[in-house]
Amino acid sequence: MTTIACGLLLIGAFLYVFWPEKNVEAQHQKTRLEFLRERREVLFDNLRDLNFEYRSGKYPEEDYASQRAMLENEAAETVAEIDLLESDAFAPQHG
Amino acid sequence: MPAFGSFALLVALALSGYNLLAGAVALRQLATGRRGGISPEKLAETARRAGIASFFATACAAFALVWAAFTNDFSVAYITEHSNRALPTAYKFAALWSGQEGSLLLWAFLLSAYGFVLRARHKVDVKLTAYASTILAGIQVFFLLLVNVAATPFSLVTGAVPPDGNGLNPLLQYPEMVIHPPMLYLGYVGFSVPFAFALGALMMRYPGEKWIHITRRWTMVTWLFLTVGIFLGMHWAYSVLGWGGYWGWDPVENASLMPWLTGTAFLHSVMMQEKRGMMKSWNVWLIFSTFMLAILGTLLTRSGLVSSVHAFAQSAIGTWFWVFLVITLAVCLFTYILQRDHLKTEHKLESLVSRESSFLFNNLVLLAACFTVLWGTLFPVLSEYVQGNRVTVSAPFYNRVAVPIGVFLLFLTGIGPLLAWRSTSLRSIRRNFMLPAIVGLVVAIAIIPLGVHPWTIFTTDEQGAFYAWITFAMAAAVLTAICAEFFRGARVIQGKSGQNLLASMVELTHRNTRRYGGYIVHFGIVLIFIGISGQAFNQSHEQTMNYKQSFKLGPYRVECLDYSQDSNPNYDTEFAMLNVYRGDRFVTKLAPELRVYAVNQQPSTIVANHSTLVADLYVIYAGKDPATGQPVIKAFLNPLVAWIWIGLMVTILGTGIALAPNLSAAIAAQRHRAAVPAEPVPAGRAGD
Repeated sequence: MTTIACGLLLIGAFLYVFWPEKNVEAQHQKTRLEFLRERREVLFDNLRDLNFEYRSGKYPEEDYASQRAMLENEAAETVAEIDLLESDAFAPQHG
Repeated sequence: MPAFGSFALLVALALSGYNLLAGAVALRQLATGRRGGISPEKLAETARRAGIASFFATACAAFALVWAAFTNDFSVAYITEHSNRALPTAYKFAALWSGQEGSLLLWAFLLSAYGFVLRARHKVDVKLTAYASTILAGIQVFFLLLVNVAATPFSLVTGAVPPDGNGLNPLLQYPEMVIHPPMLYLGYVGFSVPFAFALGALMMRYPGEKWIHITRRWTMVTWLFLTVGIFLGMHWAYSVLGWGGYWGWDPVENASLMPWLTGTAFLHSVMMQEKRGMMKSWNVWLIFSTFMLAILGTLLTRSGLVSSVHAFAQSAIGTWFWVFLVITLAVCLFTYILQRDHLKTEHKLESLVSRESSFLFNNLVLLAACFTVLWGTLFPVLSEYVQGNRVTVSAPFYNRVAVPIGVFLLFLTGIGPLLAWRSTSLRSIRRNFMLPAIVGLVVAIAIIPLGVHPWTIFTTDEQGAFYAWITFAMAAAVLTAICAEFFRGARVIQGKSGQNLLASMVELTHRNTRRYGGYIVHFGIVLIFIGISGQAFNQSHEQTMNYKQSFKLGPYRVECLDYSQDSNPNYDTEFAMLNVYRGDRFVTKLAPELRVYAVNQQPSTIVANHSTLVADLYVIYAGKDPATGQPVIKAFLNPLVAWIWIGLMVTILGTGIALAPNLSAAIAAQRHRAAVPAEPVPAGRAGD
């Protein structure tokens, strides 16, 4: 009984590990564009948080305005770089 | 079954070894662009599957050991040492982790279970998961080597098979002991996953902070398991060890606290990395340290390096752990030195009065606490090495350092969420701090007539009342600050949706589960602080009691009704029957016990506790007076202890909420449209 159980475990493990798989997931390196898109989402989240906290009365008008300006600047720079990279990626296919 | 268990462990080791080697080769080929006979993607896929298969093999081994316990297979030395025929079924299951070999098998099993989930969810980021899976396989190889070579759970007894076993340590025969060690181990082992992701992300120079997003839930679940494990241990110590307290700064307790402290610091500081791209090196080292402290914790619990009431298993596996720790540190250090330019911070700290600085202070305070605990825990070992004699550090040392640190941490818990990112103006501070400060001040004054006299610090050596006074006042301020956060946010939702305030608070929490779940966790932690502060006002009384004799303790009168003894196949017991009165009003009956287990003649205390929100009346049967044969009863009045366990429940609730996905703003808006029929809904949009 023990021998059969051991045999089954060994054969099962071997077959599972080495069974030929046709559709193997590709391992690609994350691009700058993907990174910037993630960053953009984080910045938008930060802006949403700031707006909500301001509406709830947590920050005075002056603090809110300066915080928002800084975040918007950062977001604008990120979006501009995304636009640039997207247009570069798009251009050769249609050029 | 023992032969099958041994074989399964060997297969698990082979599979993990293959995962490590094939995974490493595949990742190297992908990094350098060099290809062998088989494509690196295919090789990595076989490595991943080997990792998954290792989980099943380890599960088979764990099952084989539990099966041996349930079937009283005393041909297995481990079962002979940790079980016996009369042992109740639930404790036979606990035999899996009650000894050295079994608990290491549990480590290996839980690690492979975490690895199984990680590898099954590889599509979340195939390459990063491949790195994490390979690193995790390295850790698996270490633990599987241990259970295959140094601490084999399936060793057979030499000579004739004994008819019965030695039984489980009586201290472990308690319901919480069936849950406490697995919880603690789930916590210890779980930190391997964020560690593997952090190290993997650093090795592959992973751009961005998505690895934090991927591991956030892992880290929180792990933190929750460790928290629950620590508190179950405290409750066990309180209910079983019978010394009237729940935390004695025992080295093994400390071992579980250290990764908790650094893990808590990590959970806070990663927010700075996610939000502002700051403290990248700090975060990487925090999670590296947390993992290494979890390993150190296992080493302390299992090697007998330090003396502890919890060190249930002692052996010479310490060398294995030290070698593993040194290798881990070397790999972390080498990778960090090689890739440190990848961890450049994107922003600098702009102001000392900001959310970032509060996180930074929170981290420094938690690390100071961790270092204090580490120093005190290892001091006996260091003193023996330097001076030749072992000097033990006791509770007063820890209390002197840890209590002020805890109070400062409570202060930061309150102010952190009120500060703005980047910098906070004086106007903002005035707006947000006024109410909590006033409430804190009112409570500070109001509790003085109730007997909390902070000035005793100047007239006696006793510091407890002073720190309790600060803690109560600070706790009131922090709870006000948390409630104000909920109230302010709910008002905004209420203004838009027209819901009542409570429904608005629920929706607010649902919209940002992480933030508001976090506040609920803070709420729970504050309650725990309140509960711990009650210690400053503990009272105790010890008396030999004859029939109808009584004594007074606080508001209670304890009267001895009867004392007797009893027997069952597992243990003999002596107990007293006590009536408890408050004034002339009968409150409850208590029956403290002293058990002596038949199989090993070890005594164990069963505490009788009458717990209320104000105080616990905690009574133990301390044995018989040899002169009179009457029971010696020791009673403690421990104020506010119940708040510790309530605080834990709130913390669990908060963490559960923080783990839940957010309700998107779009869905919330849709709900409001459905709830307010008078508001026109654009054609074709309803129910989108």
